Amino acid sequence: MKLLKSEWLKLIYVRSHWGLLVAATFVSVLSVVVTPFIIENDMGLLGLSLDQTAAIDATYANAISGYIFSLILGIMLITGEFRHGTAVATFLVAPKRVSVIGAKLTIAAIGGIAIMLVSTALAMVCGYIVLQFFDYATAASEYLFLNTFLVATISGIVLAVIGLALGTLVRNQVFAIVGALVYLFVIDPLLLTLLPNAGKYFPSGLITAMLSIDVNAPELGIDTSVLLSPLLATLILLGYGFIFATVAIATSLRRDVD
Amino acid sequence: MNAVISFESLTKKYGKHIAVENFSANIYAGKITGFLGPNGAGKSSALRCLVGLSAPTSGKAKIFGKPYRELDHPLNRVGTVLDNRGFHPALTGRQNLKIIAASADIQNSRIDQVLDLVELTASQNIRMKKYSLGMKQRLALAGAILGEPEILILDEPANGLDPAGIAWLRKFLKEMAQSGKTILVSSHQLAEMQNTVDQVLIINKGKLTAQGTMAEVIGQDTLENAFLKLTSEQQ
Repeated sequence: MKLLKSEWLKLIYVRSHWGLLVAATFVSVLSVVVTPFIIENDMGLLGLSLDQTAAIDATYANAISGYIFSLILGIMLITGEFRHGTAVATFLVAPKRVSVIGAKLTIAAIGGIAIMLVSTALAMVCGYIVLQFFDYATAASEYLFLNTFLVATISGIVLAVIGLALGTLVRNQVFAIVGALVYLFVIDPLLLTLLPNAGKYFPSGLITAMLSIDVNAPELGIDTSVLLSPLLATLILLGYGFIFATVAIATSLRRDVD
Repeated sequence: MNAVISFESLTKKYGKHIAVENFSANIYAGKITGFLGPNGAGKSSALRCLVGLSAPTSGKAKIFGKPYRELDHPLNRVGTVLDNRGFHPALTGRQNLKIIAASADIQNSRIDQVLDLVELTASQNIRMKKYSLGMKQRLALAGAILGEPEILILDEPANGLDPAGIAWLRKFLKEMAQSGKTILVSSHQLAEMQNTVDQVLIINKGKLTAQGTMAEVIGQDTLENAFLKLTSEQQ
């Protein structure tokens, strides 16, 4: 508990962590707010209209768009320690590294959940307001909101844990964040579009599968029918979290603290 | 005498570079021991192995007969200052201390005490990036004594300090020694060390060059002359 309290203070005291929450909320709100306009002006590319439940579900599902910031939070929680030299104080006070990394993983997961729940909730509220401007817009499917919050929670935990593990491997904060952004914004979408049978097993494909939305737009390289079932996708994403948490602990045990 | 810190044939290599080689020494309770050596002699590497931040390539470094990582409540046994980068620059001095205190269940009243002791009470709510080097060193010392430890390990605490800062540090070390703490301090300030420490360890090129009381090591000479003679013999 003592280490958790210490790591919690680090999470709430550092202003840039709050900046991530603001950025995640901005991205999520923007994604949700522009989606109805894209759907209505896509000249049939998405094959959706706001009078269809699938279109409304796709709009609200964009509320989880801020998940990259959970990953960045995980990276910053550990690379910040090496960047500012605070890792020395951290491991002097608590030299049992498994305990420190365990506490960091827990706090990263809590931070990841907070980012995802706040940004998702605010984006959904904004989405609801924007959809009021389209008088023919239909309602979302019955379990859409519950499902999206569940996905937000799980992806927040797993991506923050993956970020922390990535940070233990690549201690340079800039390299770690740039690498994560390149992966999530370039490599992952390319895999999902060009090699969907492989891409569906990687984070973006898994998170989209968990949302259980139905979009088929071959011209845009989007076809959710090729993705895994939501349950299997959830299990695989949690598996990634477990593997990366193990990597984080093993790496911290092996390396000297600079 | 009772050795509270012991290096037992400690060797630390970074790739092919040998930072510390077969280093053995004892530090005794209640004494101030100066750990001296030229730049790159291996002082910091030995201290990092001692406090568990680096893994020895071979040999052991122990505090109270145990590796640092096996100590229960290490903050209450050993206070360490390795450099002044141990604190987050965007946080205030007080926030930085609260983070350390939280991990050892130390009360806020103790934070007030140590801030007063290092004369940072008035600056406690200023972000650390605005601190002078002397203030950063004092904050680091505040962190080290937060848990009221029996041992203080200080690596170059006088680095970059102005004369007033050095005078403050001398007073601080004397007060700590008078309260019965064991202090292991590495420094380049040889004249300062001569007036402050009881025991001397001199390391050069990773190897122990001299060990003993100040009188045993320097004889009738000054510490600076003895140091230069001992370290040049190995060139």
